[in-house]
Amino acid sequence: MTAAVTTSRAEGGRLPALKALWRQTGFAPLLFVILLVINIAINPARFAPGAWGTLIGLAAPLIGAAIASAPAILGGRGGIDISVGPIMGFVNAIVVLVLVQKLGLTSPFVVVGSAILIGAAVGALNGFLATILRIQPIVATLGTYLLLVGTTLTILPAPTGTVPVWLKALGGPLSILPLGAVFLAWFLIRRLPYYDHLMAVGSDDRAAYTAGIPVTLVRFLSYVITGVFAGVAGLMMTALIGSADPAIGPTYTLIAISAVALGGVSLAGGRGGLVGAAIGAIDIFLLQSALTFFNFSTFVLQIAYGAILVIAIVLTALQDRWLGRAREGR
Amino acid sequence: MADVAAVLSVSGLSLKPGATPFDLSIRRGEIVGLAGLDGHGQDAFIETLAGLRAPVTGEVRAPLSGHAITSFRRAVASGIAYLPRDRRATGIFPSMSILDNFAIATVGRDRRLGLISRAERRKRYDYYRERLAIVAPDPSHPITTLSGGNQQKVLLARALAHKPDVLLLNDPTRGVDIATRRVLYAVFRELAQEGMALVVLSTEIEEALVLCDRILVFREQELAAPLEGDARSSERIIATMFGRAA
Repeated sequence: MTAAVTTSRAEGGRLPALKALWRQTGFAPLLFVILLVINIAINPARFAPGAWGTLIGLAAPLIGAAIASAPAILGGRGGIDISVGPIMGFVNAIVVLVLVQKLGLTSPFVVVGSAILIGAAVGALNGFLATILRIQPIVATLGTYLLLVGTTLTILPAPTGTVPVWLKALGGPLSILPLGAVFLAWFLIRRLPYYDHLMAVGSDDRAAYTAGIPVTLVRFLSYVITGVFAGVAGLMMTALIGSADPAIGPTYTLIAISAVALGGVSLAGGRGGLVGAAIGAIDIFLLQSALTFFNFSTFVLQIAYGAILVIAIVLTALQDRWLGRAREGR
Repeated sequence: MADVAAVLSVSGLSLKPGATPFDLSIRRGEIVGLAGLDGHGQDAFIETLAGLRAPVTGEVRAPLSGHAITSFRRAVASGIAYLPRDRRATGIFPSMSILDNFAIATVGRDRRLGLISRAERRKRYDYYRERLAIVAPDPSHPITTLSGGNQQKVLLARALAHKPDVLLLNDPTRGVDIATRRVLYAVFRELAQEGMALVVLSTEIEEALVLCDRILVFREQELAAPLEGDARSSERIIATMFGRAA
């Protein structure tokens, strides 16, 4: 560590945006392009511009779940929220069964408002358990997971119900709206001091503490954001399935975490972003779509997810090592 | 405590149970050195001043704001900035850029209409880059691309961005090359001239002698002797460190 490290490198200047994307998301965009080409080749009708609304609606819950999982993970020190899927299922049950069917409330403001409130409340509970009581996040959110799955099954033992027309449209022609809203919210968060604090806490919490960052508060809020996004993802799922189904929500948890890891978000925190998580989710969706086209069973699908995930993470680790070596070699 | 120029006052402080408590006040524009054999209390003392460690007895007070320093956040709010010793473990964020490493403690100041402005941040950084002569080609590169001395300057810039009244430096020149040290010494003197009070923990006696108006020598968790003026000599300091009367 001497002063000899000051010469700049010429190749760092070219295409800095692409380079930053590469550093942030790893191999997910590459995989995205390959899978997209394969999908368009084998099933042009499904990927035609006219079908985009339906297509995005189909992919939205997974993308939403992946985006929702990311903030808690970015906060570092084992931060993770495995209750994202059950939050989606719970929101689905409350919206369809309680709001629409029992109370007859179909106004977008009420429905969207309660989805966000439910998400925020569960997120705050998770945050309280994980950051203030300092229970290990995976255990704390496992507790919430079971709590929510049980509650959902109690109030909704079997699939039932219908959804208002506007909500149905959000799963079809207008499916870009909820996703767009989540991205806009994140774009604004990225411009707040909070985002820098979150990334710093995820990068190194001791250094964050000596830099005067309120570490606990920052982590707590990351769970609340995760909860809110999960609530919105629950709406996307409700829009897609058009009814209440207690079995679907929880299945999103693990696959969303796979998508996040695939998208280059480090599960150790402080590295990656929501765009990466979304690309990871789209990758999984495209893989799903291609394999289903060839009539592979869902069991084979799972094998494919697992294999892709492991390969992507190994490649990202290699990329890290390679980047690290290039840095030291300067 | 009638001293109007005091920016930090310590009363009845002891760093371990049973140690003799001491009073002290640190004035504007003064550079105070802390010396002692490793682990003899100077570390504990500077961390207590920063609110990172609770005193065993007594208290630290910032007369300007009138608050007792009971926590690190309170210290920051009272105009005290702290540069930690272990740069790798508690200083830099290795995965973040030079610019973000600089701004992280003061991100709120980059706001325009509530949102972060990169341009504003860049402007603040450029001021300190010039002032501290930070040699960094591109502030968007990871901080780990910098030399140790330049990393230290970025951390110093982070602390200075608070615009503190008191700057606590825990061994600021450890692992830093001679040229950078000279720059840092010049900056420290300049800051003191502008009225900032500096507390420098140093593991090198020569450094303390060159830099400080007053040197506090610690021994066995107690303030063994405050040496001022002509009393500051390396023999006196060494003798006090080892507990020999001089």
